[in-house]
Amino acid sequence: MATSMAAPTTTGRAGHRTSRWKGVAAVGVLGIALVVAPLVSSPYINYQLSSIAVFAVAILGLNIVMGYTGQVSLGQSAFLGLGAYIAAYGILHGWPGPLTLLLCAVVPAAVGTLVALAAARLRGLALAMITLALPIVGVPLARRFADFTGGSQGRVVSWLRAPESSGLANDQWRYYVVVLIAVVAFALARNLVRGRIGRSFAIVKENEAVALSMGVSPYRTKVLAFTIASLLGGVSGFMYLAIVQFTSPETLVFATSINLVAAMVIGGSASIVGSALGAAYYVLVPVLAGQVNSSRTALISGVVLLAVLFALPAGLVSLPRRLARLRSSSRRTQHPQQDPPTPDEATRSASAPSEATTDQHS
Amino acid sequence: MSFFIQVVVDGLSNGAIYAAIALAIVLVYRATALINFAQGGMAVAATFLAYALTRAGVPVLLALLAAVVFGFVLGAVVERGVMRHFEGGDPDTAVVATIALLVILGGASAYFFGYEPHQFPSLFPNKTIEVFGAFVSLRSIGTIAVLLVVMVALQVLFRSTKLGLAMRAVADNPQSSALSGLPVSRLLMIGWGLAAALGAIAGVLVAPQLFISPGMLDFVLVYALASAILGGLDSPLGAVVAAAFIGVIENLAGAYLDFIGDDLKIAVPFVAVIVILVVRPQGLFGRKVTVRV
Amino acid sequence: MSLLELVDVTASYGHAQVLHGISFSLPENGATGLLGANGAGKTTTLRAISGTVRTTGRILFEGRDISGLGPDRTAHLGIAHVPEGRGTLGQLSVRENLLVGAYQRRDRKQVATDVDYVLDLFPNLQERVRSNAAALSGGEQQMLAVGRAFMAKPRVMLLDEASLGLAPSTARRVYEAVVRLRREAQVSMVVVEQNANLAFSVVDDATVLETGRVALSGSKDELMGMDAVRRAYLGG
Repeated sequence: MATSMAAPTTTGRAGHRTSRWKGVAAVGVLGIALVVAPLVSSPYINYQLSSIAVFAVAILGLNIVMGYTGQVSLGQSAFLGLGAYIAAYGILHGWPGPLTLLLCAVVPAAVGTLVALAAARLRGLALAMITLALPIVGVPLARRFADFTGGSQGRVVSWLRAPESSGLANDQWRYYVVVLIAVVAFALARNLVRGRIGRSFAIVKENEAVALSMGVSPYRTKVLAFTIASLLGGVSGFMYLAIVQFTSPETLVFATSINLVAAMVIGGSASIVGSALGAAYYVLVPVLAGQVNSSRTALISGVVLLAVLFALPAGLVSLPRRLARLRSSSRRTQHPQQDPPTPDEATRSASAPSEATTDQHS
Repeated sequence: MSFFIQVVVDGLSNGAIYAAIALAIVLVYRATALINFAQGGMAVAATFLAYALTRAGVPVLLALLAAVVFGFVLGAVVERGVMRHFEGGDPDTAVVATIALLVILGGASAYFFGYEPHQFPSLFPNKTIEVFGAFVSLRSIGTIAVLLVVMVALQVLFRSTKLGLAMRAVADNPQSSALSGLPVSRLLMIGWGLAAALGAIAGVLVAPQLFISPGMLDFVLVYALASAILGGLDSPLGAVVAAAFIGVIENLAGAYLDFIGDDLKIAVPFVAVIVILVVRPQGLFGRKVTVRV
Repeated sequence: MSLLELVDVTASYGHAQVLHGISFSLPENGATGLLGANGAGKTTTLRAISGTVRTTGRILFEGRDISGLGPDRTAHLGIAHVPEGRGTLGQLSVRENLLVGAYQRRDRKQVATDVDYVLDLFPNLQERVRSNAAALSGGEQQMLAVGRAFMAKPRVMLLDEASLGLAPSTARRVYEAVVRLRREAQVSMVVVEQNANLAFSVVDDATVLETGRVALSGSKDELMGMDAVRRAYLGG
């Protein structure tokens, strides 16, 4: 039900144009910042920024299937790990980079499709169970198949060195590679959710019976959503290997899946921008918490998480909206006027269906 | 045959632990439609209290009782102080709030006791007894016995007392229950308190085997979750049966199937859960849900 | 002094205002109806009384302002609300549903007697006393809801659209029981109904609501005599 569109501050065509220019300007500034950042920052900062890009893509995938389509996935870490392992295997066997990236997208997507084909018919939490099984089973499997994975010790892969001609340092080159992949992924995802497929996601999330009556197959939609999520998960695994240059069974652990879900909610469920914000949260909070007091990192991280949930239950992406509403509500108390009720607000605040919206009786 | 009995009894003992936490999950789910990830954290915190008491010389049984009381209070306070805020809103946000609590409780436990595992005294003597030619540990039998007692007590509570009736009513339809004058908020607090107390019992029972540490119940939580879902999420009996099932086949697979071994043991219950859910999506004992348009 | 009195009550769901100043009163031992079309605000008015919606204005019960009290507090004061949709506790048995209704009472023996009385009032329920309430038909669930409200031995019963979704003969049976309840147990009532004929079988007077405002009010005879009322709410 929630979308990530910021409310325009003025109505009418003039207002629409203003907000569009604001949007374009914001993207422009962001673009410039993204390009310039690594050139002026230390390798450590570039590493953090690159990590944010990595997990932004992973969380974006999770958002597609959880935020937009309303299904529960507790297995995104498994797809990230699978992508990282495929990348490691490919690079160590001399496969060209782009081909490896393609495989990191396609193979996890295929796995995701297979899982979804079996699981998408199930009620929400049963699906969650199956996604839960992926990291749980994945970790010991990763340890077992040492030929592919390097066993418990994992794989160290030194690659993606900056080409001589670019004049860039390794960390800068890797930053550009992953940020480029992330930008492409985000752009494609944004188009996807704003189009017909995105609408079918939203309908299935809202009410599957209604979707069915509108000719949208909930089953197929869920399979598609899950496939895209796994694809993005695999791609993020490729990016992960690019930045961390190492992978092991630990990459797949269940705790990571849970943290990715938390980060998704913190950033903003069903929001493209929110996915990036969630990734920033995911990467930066543990770092900052550790700097405040390393023996209390977990405690501080947990408290921060809870605090953000209290203050912004709709996620970080809702911050501008909340501030705007606070400002406008203070304005409204000075000039009391009846706002026409929106159906959203009327039904959301009611503990039972309001008479105004109840038309049919069983 | 005797080996088989041993494996099964140990499996049932593990299953009893999963069952206790699965029951806690089902309890909270029925009342609030939330999956409470913090269950594990509350259980660990209560177990650590028991640990601190036993280190101070308190007998294990008393420490267990103290942990149960502490767990109850902790659960009630958490519901009133934190979860109350999220219960009316977006369910995903509420679930992440439980995740935050899990992290906080784990972090707090680690802050006071560190991350390394410690030894925890067992409630039962470290003996084995002979049953049908098999040697089963007293601890396994004791764990199963405790769980059965707890189950009977819960059954009595819910079916024969006014409080139990009220809790079931609130779990069924909180708004309608309020109209009959039921103190819904107080009952929710009690529900959470009860769930946390169950977790405390599970924690103290399993700590001697797993060695107490903040992450002690991480895997148990996953199994408990699987049991609760396999059982149908709104059926306490289903959760217990599912937990027993998961405990037993995990152990059987690890013991009898060579290629499985100790590390892939955990895959077996999950594969089984998946197969069962594909065949029967509502779980073993769940109700088929019809969605009204 | 009237038992229940609403003075200029407004109510909103979030930013949507649904009641724009409702006033009516219910005398001691009286029964009054709230009529009106869909969306007129009838259910919201009952919710205002039982305290499940945000209101302004005064709601006086036995002279005391109860606006702002929550549903469990108003239940404690003696207001039993039979909600729209019945609020059946599906997972509990018929008997258990009735016992929940008596939750705030301490007189166990009398409670048991009252359970028997309700089962006598609604023989259908007697047959299915041990079944889960979710297995009951719509009409039976409505009877159960009325019975459950009665179990609280309330001073006022708020009945919300009791005929909703029921076949006419079933609805009539429900209302016959309600009439009997009013006569034998002397419970005051506020009856919300779209079907004015059914309402008037129980109530002495009524208020007609239209988009959140009082359009008409009067005694049963007055209202039944008006062409407008007859056409709009009594089908001709």
